[in-house]
Amino acid sequence: MIDDASLVRLYYRSTLEAARFKVEEAMNGIEALEKLLEKPVDLLIVDVNMPQMDGFTFLGLLRQKDMAIASIPALITSTESGQKDFEAGRAAGANYYLVKPISPETLIEFASLLCGLRL
Amino acid sequence: MIAWLLESVQAVADYPALTEDEFRRLCEYLYRQSGMIFTEAKRYYVERRVNERMAATGSQTFASYFARLRINAEEENEHFVNALTVNETYFYREEHQLTCLTTDLLAERVRDKRAGDAIRIWSVPCSTGEEPFSVAIWLLENWPWVDNYEIEIVGSDIDTRVLEHARQGVFGKRSLMRLSSDLVEKYFSPMADEKWRILGELLNSVQFSTANIVESSETRGFGRFDVIFCRNVLIYFDDASRRVAAENLYENLLPGGFICLGHTESMSRISPLFEVRQFPDAIVYQRPPASPTRG
Repeated sequence: MIDDASLVRLYYRSTLEAARFKVEEAMNGIEALEKLLEKPVDLLIVDVNMPQMDGFTFLGLLRQKDMAIASIPALITSTESGQKDFEAGRAAGANYYLVKPISPETLIEFASLLCGLRL
Repeated sequence: MIAWLLESVQAVADYPALTEDEFRRLCEYLYRQSGMIFTEAKRYYVERRVNERMAATGSQTFASYFARLRINAEEENEHFVNALTVNETYFYREEHQLTCLTTDLLAERVRDKRAGDAIRIWSVPCSTGEEPFSVAIWLLENWPWVDNYEIEIVGSDIDTRVLEHARQGVFGKRSLMRLSSDLVEKYFSPMADEKWRILGELLNSVQFSTANIVESSETRGFGRFDVIFCRNVLIYFDDASRRVAAENLYENLLPGGFICLGHTESMSRISPLFEVRQFPDAIVYQRPPASPTRG
């Protein structure tokens, strides 16, 4: 879970933990990259507008890495809902793009899907 | 704070002290109702609060006030306990205002906002942090748009000691008494000695800072808010300070922004600047939308 807003991190984390996911948090793309190198995860939930490194830049950098973590599925979460935003998400390597506000049910549904839990 | 307290105490009519028997009966009643224990050492403090409430309710004798308290006339139990715990607070105090925040106030405030815009909420005075953290928890639990706006919660107080306490994010049993065990488990981690530590994300979601609301040089720097909670502090000011505080708070509101006072307080008696808004859960004061900046 990569989001600069601590309330949003807590909102998503408690939602996912209630559905038995284990959640790690990062406040921006740089922190996320550092944490991922130490401990890979099964899914990334990435906000777009963050200080220091935004979500698209983070995901673009990650996808270029010649490492296993480069292919971790990623769900973009953003308040932006323009066509160009969706395209930027796809170009950065997102697997799915959800527009905020995101209901707990939707978050769990897509997190499960991208983790391969409901295929 | 002490100076304001003294002024308010002097304003209260001088009632005779309680007899030993009256004091004992009151303390027993209080213990049964709230679990709070007051001993002879706190007699002066309790008597002063009784006198304030007797004046507020127009009770001529302790016996008539005590009768009123026991039948809980006009929720006197809560008024009295609030009067006694003025420097203490607890999570979800005056929950009806939090209900009003999410059912009415924010619905109006976001009408002209775009997704991703800021919503700014100020708790002043915030004492040891229960109020601003309550706002954060309440939003997480009751407002499904919490991820759709940039929510900024600021907690301010004149007293640096209470702010230090707030920044620690550690609370005792009494602070948490109104929260369900589910909420305590979800948002706090237990520590030794019946203390609980609030989760890191919640601690980070509130910015704490000192502020004296009668000093415009101090309040100006905070910018403008969508909603201000300013509960149970204006009652300690004299008329002139109250007016100055009201004018300062007005400047700290965005046009159309709301201010919530304690339920025994009324802005109408203090300042004509605000419009009274009666919502199903609370009476709230509003800076008129699109009003010109004063001064």
